[in-house]
Amino acid sequence: MKKLALLPTVFALSVMFAACSTTPTTTSQLDQARGDFVAAQSNPSVASNAPLEFKAASDALDRANAAAAKKESLEEIDKLAYIAKQKIATAQEAAKAKQAESEVANAARQRDEIRLEARTVEANNAKAAADRARTAAEQAKMDADSARAQADAASSSARDEAAKNAALQQQLADLQAKQTERGIIITLSDVLFQVDRAELSAEGMRTAQKVADVLMQEPQSVVQVEGFTDSTGTSSHNLDLSQRRAESVRNALIGLGVPSNKVGTRGYGEAYPVASNTDAGSRQLNRRVEIVLSQNGAPIANRR
Amino acid sequence: MMTMNTQWHLLCGLAMLIGLSGCASDKTPATADVAASRAQVAAATSAGAADLAPAEMTAARDKLMRANQALAARDYKTAQDLATQASADAQLAQSKANSAKATTAADELQNNIRLLREEVQRASATNQQ
Repeated sequence: MKKLALLPTVFALSVMFAACSTTPTTTSQLDQARGDFVAAQSNPSVASNAPLEFKAASDALDRANAAAAKKESLEEIDKLAYIAKQKIATAQEAAKAKQAESEVANAARQRDEIRLEARTVEANNAKAAADRARTAAEQAKMDADSARAQADAASSSARDEAAKNAALQQQLADLQAKQTERGIIITLSDVLFQVDRAELSAEGMRTAQKVADVLMQEPQSVVQVEGFTDSTGTSSHNLDLSQRRAESVRNALIGLGVPSNKVGTRGYGEAYPVASNTDAGSRQLNRRVEIVLSQNGAPIANRR
Repeated sequence: MMTMNTQWHLLCGLAMLIGLSGCASDKTPATADVAASRAQVAAATSAGAADLAPAEMTAARDKLMRANQALAARDYKTAQDLATQASADAQLAQSKANSAKATTAADELQNNIRLLREEVQRASATNQQ
């Protein structure tokens, strides 16, 4: 009877131990953990970037495998396999994080390099812009210089023109030129000729030179050389003399470089006296040659 | 016969004790495991795992809660198991959160680099004009 009373206790014990030791060697959870482990093992980044996590995962899987080998309960194996599976995933994630972090570091370096490059480009751009600005400034300066040179040339040519005009006026004044409606009249007096002859004296040649200078400076002008005498002697002789003196002046001007087609002659003899012929002084005034200088190329009107 | 009976009782009591101690853990290590698990869950939460690894975080919190309940019910073995699992889940959640953050940062930087590079190319193209 005592022995029978012990039976429930023994039964309870056997149930208790049976709970701790069942037969299967693997579970789907453990198979999955093993598969995950193989994947993690074949990922080189896991071993190098997450060695501690990988070791923990490996240990956890070892424990699950040991439990399976010892034929512990399905529940126990599953529990250990689950822990192993989570630890393997943790190792994978840790490796991924480490890799991303190293990418970040690398990218930061890359970014710095590009920024440097950008600054270099900016500096080059600035330099190029400065070069362009300098070139433009140089061009502008050159343009300004050339404009100023042109202005200078223009004003100096204007000055030259003015100086030439002034010189011409002075020369005409020296020749005691008279402005008339026929043009400018230059009178060569008797003293510039040898007595009763047509040849010009040295003084007369100097005057002719001045007239030639004026004519050379006024290329559009033409001249009419007109000879006059006093009333002494025959009128035909006087006419002839006045003509010859006019010719003589013309020849002198041509000899000084005045084109022959610009010089006309006319002898008037005793006509058109400028003084009374009653005394020697007056007669001397009448013996003369007048050079009529046309203005602006206008033809010379005849005497009335 | 009487002595024989007493020996049997002693044996049975010993076997009972051994069996019980083999399956059920003590109170102290279970409490320590639950505390460690709680710290792990807190660490994962502060790493932003609630947003970045919600499934693992939910599992970890749920298991931690059940571990606490088991501890209160003096089911130390269950409490320890759940605490260990919750720790593993929380660790995975934290790792996932960290890798997601690092990956986002890396992607962002790569994008920045791409934009910078384009800008540089535009700038040098303008320069060459």
